[in-house]
Formats: sequence, structure tokens, C-alpha cells
Amino acid sequence: MTSAIATYDLCKTYPVVERPWWKPGKPLRAAPAVDGLSLRIPAGQVTGLLGLNGAGKTTTIRMLATLLRPTSGRATVDDLDLVKDAREVRRRINMIAGGERMVYARLTARENLWYFGQLYDVPKAQLKARIAELLALVGLEHATDQRVERYSKGMRQRLSIARGLINRPAYLLLDEPTLGLDAPIARDLRAVVAELARDGVGVLLTSHYLAEVEQLCADIFVIAAGRLVARGTPAELTALAERRHTVEVTLAAPVDDVDHAVGTLAMRTGAQLTTGVDDELRPRYTLRHSADLAGELATTIVTAGGAITRLEVTPPTLEDAVIALADAAPEPSVVGS
Amino acid sequence: MVTAWATLKRNWLVMQRAYPWSYFIGTLGPGVFTIVVALLSYRAIGGGRVSAWFGASSGTSDYLGYVTVGAAALMFTTRMVLWVAKAQITEQREGTLVSQLLTPAMRLPYLLGVAAQAFITSILELCCLLGTALLLGVRLPTPDPVSLAAGILVAFVAVFGLSIPLSAIMIAAGEAHITQNTLFCVVGLLCGFTFPAVLLPAPLTFLGELLPATAAMRVLRAATLHAAPIHQVIGDLSSCLALGCLYAAIGLLVLPHAERRAITRGASA
Repeated sequence: MTSAIATYDLCKTYPVVERPWWKPGKPLRAAPAVDGLSLRIPAGQVTGLLGLNGAGKTTTIRMLATLLRPTSGRATVDDLDLVKDAREVRRRINMIAGGERMVYARLTARENLWYFGQLYDVPKAQLKARIAELLALVGLEHATDQRVERYSKGMRQRLSIARGLINRPAYLLLDEPTLGLDAPIARDLRAVVAELARDGVGVLLTSHYLAEVEQLCADIFVIAAGRLVARGTPAELTALAERRHTVEVTLAAPVDDVDHAVGTLAMRTGAQLTTGVDDELRPRYTLRHSADLAGELATTIVTAGGAITRLEVTPPTLEDAVIALADAAPEPSVVGS
Repeated sequence: MVTAWATLKRNWLVMQRAYPWSYFIGTLGPGVFTIVVALLSYRAIGGGRVSAWFGASSGTSDYLGYVTVGAAALMFTTRMVLWVAKAQITEQREGTLVSQLLTPAMRLPYLLGVAAQAFITSILELCCLLGTALLLGVRLPTPDPVSLAAGILVAFVAVFGLSIPLSAIMIAAGEAHITQNTLFCVVGLLCGFTFPAVLLPAPLTFLGELLPATAAMRVLRAATLHAAPIHQVIGDLSSCLALGCLYAAIGLLVLPHAERRAITRGASA
């Protein structure tokens, strides 16, 4: 048996123009949200799924959570088919989505976890202890018997995290789990996720907070327009971000020779040059290149008679890599007449 | 059955904490109104008598008993439908549908749990309506207890069965009011709650027979107004049970598709 979530050529198409209800059949026009995605999310590791808005991350997660059926392709969880063995798959997975309530407002934290524990067939003998353990884990012991409708947003999200762990899932799907959480709570959640992975849980994480992904993920898939565009460790992906070493220089006053010299440097090195002014109307030059051109730029400016008041070097980040990869990806296609 | 019991308990807790009393008055109101109007018409217009025509078409001369049982059954139907058919769209609106669907729990026990709580609540509300009718001077004959119990059971199956496809339509369409009110109009017109269904044109009578609530209504009236023993109502009991189960089976078949449609709408939005 393979201990992993695996997808093979997974596709999901959404109808753009439906047929009239009296003419059943395929939609007249359909757009792929996920297009031939093959992923592997092993147990005992946090795997990242990154992409810009509309890249297909949420659709992928919802298919893996058995909430949506793939249009084509297949996916397995520990060799169990996601569609044919959906009920057994549901016992092994859980999902936490940031920004969605997912718990009952009129019940207390304890009642919510009891209810979900029943739905997951958690043995009665274990349920009470597990509820106490999870409430302690997310720091809600003090509000155990308080109704959720009186909780703050952060407390609700923490309860939602406890709900996602009630069945001791072998795989946890995290869709923006720290969305709207305060920094200390988000940090605690990251610690919990890292510990779960160490305990053997396979985690799939999507997040717009890329520092979070860099910190947690051993392996990252980058998707754009529903297609896989890159895969690697955070360092490997960051290295893909060409022209992303950014050097920004501000001068005390405009000097004609500096304009010419910096332009020549950019042409010679193939760097991307942007010129402008800062809030105090002082000239500003920004160079983007795969190499760090800070020293060369400073020398060029000083030689040309310019006086530098500020110089800032920004190394490439994972965010730069994701944006660059998404920019390079082809536009999604719409199928149909 | 763990799911059914847990859902019953969950709904009971929620209802205790957030039972809308204005809603209760709104529920009781139409039933009381129907009985009061019937009472006034019967006393002030009919002079305490009904025509032979009514007796022939309804099978009874007890007009007030006829209307009271019909109003009570209609209230039971609408309340059960409101609880059961709206269960999933309520989950969707409150943001808990996804967490429900993530679990390995089956839909049938979940809906049975909702229906069990709805049944207890509806029976309590029904008692309030019948108590009000009693205060207004309506007197019902002693029913046949076995037929009455069987009638209530099949009425439960009938309404439960109707509610499941309705639930699927609601979550697929993302809308509840038009769907539920259309059903209320249809059952109110076709199922013989407040007037004999035989008065309808033949095609509408036929359509009424396709709804399990029509046969359930006949059983309830026979048990309460005529104290009919169970062997006299076995035909209606059977057809009601069969139709209720058929509607439930169709509903359970289409519900997963409707759920996925609801999730798709959320995901692609």
C-alpha cells in the first residue's frame, strides 16, 4: 500500500454556459479549473500547493476532500479511490478552510466536537479525552462550554482546527488555515501542523502567506490555470525566480550622466530597469536581475557624479517565484462553442 | 443510528437555545385561523348544519372535526417539511454544509435525526393547536388508537419522503422560499386537508393521489372521525407507505448530485 494522496491527470471543468434544463447533457461552454494535475502528497510531510487566485487550489483541495468529483483523471488516498471509496477516504482525511465557519454557532465547543466525533464514529471511550486534548491543543479550555456564537473570529477558527483533527486524520487538507488569525495564533497553528507532520500526518497546505509555506513545506507544487507549472523545495523554487534580485537606489539630485550610465549598465547586463522618483521627487533607479548588481550599480552612479542617499537590495523570494511562474503560464482555455 | 441520535440531540439543543417564539405563533396562527373561520361559517352561516352534499363528498357530517383534523395535519406537514427539507440549506447558509459532507456519515440517518426532532416538536405544536380547538368548542370523537398511531406513522413517512427530494431541489437551486411555498400550495390544494379532494377536477385528483400526504390524510380522518379499525385503512396505509418510501428513495438518489452542485457553486464562485 502507498501511504500518500496521489492524483493522476486530475481535471475539473466548471460549466460557463449551462444547457437549458430540458436539454440535459454536457454544458455548452466549460472552463477547466484543474487541468491534468498529477500530485503526490506523502504521509509525514507538509506539502505546499501554491498559485495565484483562480489557479485551482481550492478546487483541487475540494476534490481531494471528496466534496467534488473530478471531471476526468483519478486520485487515491492510500490506494483508495477518491470516488469509489469516498466513505473510507473520508475517515482518513479532514479539511480546515480559513474564512469558513464549519462549526455550529449555537453549540458550545465541547458539543461541536462531540457531534463531529459521533459523525466520524470516534469510539465513545476515546471521545471525551480526545475533545479535552484538542481543546487544550487549540487553547480553548477556558471557553469549552461557551456557545460559539459568542466566540471571536480567532476562537472560531481555532475550534474549526480542533474539528479538523477530531477523527485523527491520516491526511489533513489546509486551505488558507491562518486566514484572519492573529500572528500569535497563526504561529501556534504552524507549530501544531509541523508536529502533526512529525507524527506521520500528511498535510497539504495552501496559503497566501508564503513565509508560512516556506517555513513548513518540504515540497511545493505551483499551479497556474489549473496546471502544474513547477515543483520543488522552497529553495529550488526561489532559484527559479529570474530577474528577481532587486536593487533600488535613490539619489540626492538628478544628474544627466547617471541616467545614461545606468541605462548602459542595464543594457550590458540584461537587467530590467525602472526609473522614477520618490516622495521627495528625488530620482530613483530600480534594477532587477538574476545576479546581485548592487556593487556595480553603486560604482556606476558614483563614477557618473551621482550622490547616493539610499541603496536597498532585495533577494528573490518564493513569492517572486510564484508570480513569475504564474505570469509565464498559458491562459486558461474555455471549451465549447 | 449513531448519526441519527447525535443529529437529534444537536438539533434539540439548537432548538432549545434559539426557538423563535414568533415563529411558533406564525405556525399556530394559520391552523387556529382555519378552525376559527370554519367555526364561524358553520355557526353563523350554516346554522350549525352542513349540507348533504358535504356529507356525501367528505364521508362525514362532522364539519368542525373534519376541518380541525385537516388543519392539524396540514400544520404537521408544513412543520416537518420546514425542518427536514430545509436542514441542508440551513447548514449551507450557516457555513456547516462542507464540514457535514466531509464526514463519512450517511445522509439517511442524518435526515432521520433531523426528522425525529422535527416530529417531537411538531407533535408538541400540534397538541397546542388541538388544545386551542378544544377551547374554541370543537369536540372530536374518540379515535381508534391503533389506526391513529399507524396514521401518524405513515404521515411521518409521507412527509419525510416528500422532504428529501425537496431538500435536494433547495440546495441545488440555492433557494428555499419559492420551493417550499410551491409545495405547500400543491399539498394544500391537492391532498384534501381542508376540503374533500374529490371536489377537484379528475386530473388534479389523480395528481393528488401521487402525493403520499393524500392517503395519510384519509387514514388520519378515518381513525379520528370514524374510529375506523386498522383493517379498514390498510389500503391507504400501504399506498402512503409505498409512495413515501419511493419519494425518499428518489430523494436519496439525487441528494449527492445536489450537494455537489451546491459545493461547485461555492467553489467556482
